[in-house]
Amino acid sequence: MDRKIHNKSLLEKFVEDFVNIVEKYCKYIIVSGFVAITHGRTRGTEDVDMIIEKLEEFKFTQLHEDIIKNNFICVQSDNPKEIYEYLKDNISVRYVKKNTFVPEMELKFAKDYLDEYQIKTRKMLPMSGLSIYFSSIEANIAFKEELLRSEKDLEDAKHLREIYSDKINKDEIEKIKGEIRRLRLK
Amino acid sequence: MEQIVRWAKFVRENNISVWKPQVNALIDSQIIMANRFYSNLVKTKEGKLKAEKLLRRKL
Repeated sequence: MDRKIHNKSLLEKFVEDFVNIVEKYCKYIIVSGFVAITHGRTRGTEDVDMIIEKLEEFKFTQLHEDIIKNNFICVQSDNPKEIYEYLKDNISVRYVKKNTFVPEMELKFAKDYLDEYQIKTRKMLPMSGLSIYFSSIEANIAFKEELLRSEKDLEDAKHLREIYSDKINKDEIEKIKGEIRRLRLK
Repeated sequence: MEQIVRWAKFVRENNISVWKPQVNALIDSQIIMANRFYSNLVKTKEGKLKAEKLLRRKL
């Protein structure tokens, strides 16, 4: 995919490099802090969160090998079988560029209806200036306000609500919050 | 929260070319400084152990 945006940050370049590989194998979404940061939130981050469709072991191994071929390493293990076991157990795995310490891409499989819904309703967000898929603004706000709830997350949600004040679907936020309560906070 | 709202309004009301360089400078400097810090830290045995703990990984 052609990604035409100039003056990208090191973090954005890192994410695009990773996304360029992943999108050959499966659907993905970028969620949480990076969404706020690409919309102008002035805060640092050491990791970027990515959710991908559940893959069969063979296909994941192909993806992992492609990631490695492109100068990333997995910090938990070099063994794709072991990494796949983590993912299958809903444990995220982290990749960094070889010979660097940060940033990290934190990758996990979609684990329930909520993750699958976010992938199904994924969006490119033109205001970010990037041609990559994010979970919807409504989903990001709902997760930050209902589930994550740290000071940083609540500030991210406030920032996104302000940026998209004339565009967000408040009913959708409430619907997703209801699903969070049902599936993640029971 | 007031500052968050003020800055978000600035982002919403201005072109990406206005606010993006300011955000990028902050993000880039954070990444550059963190990598420089950890590169120096791992040069000693004790530092390597500290970095492993901080980064939750084997170096």
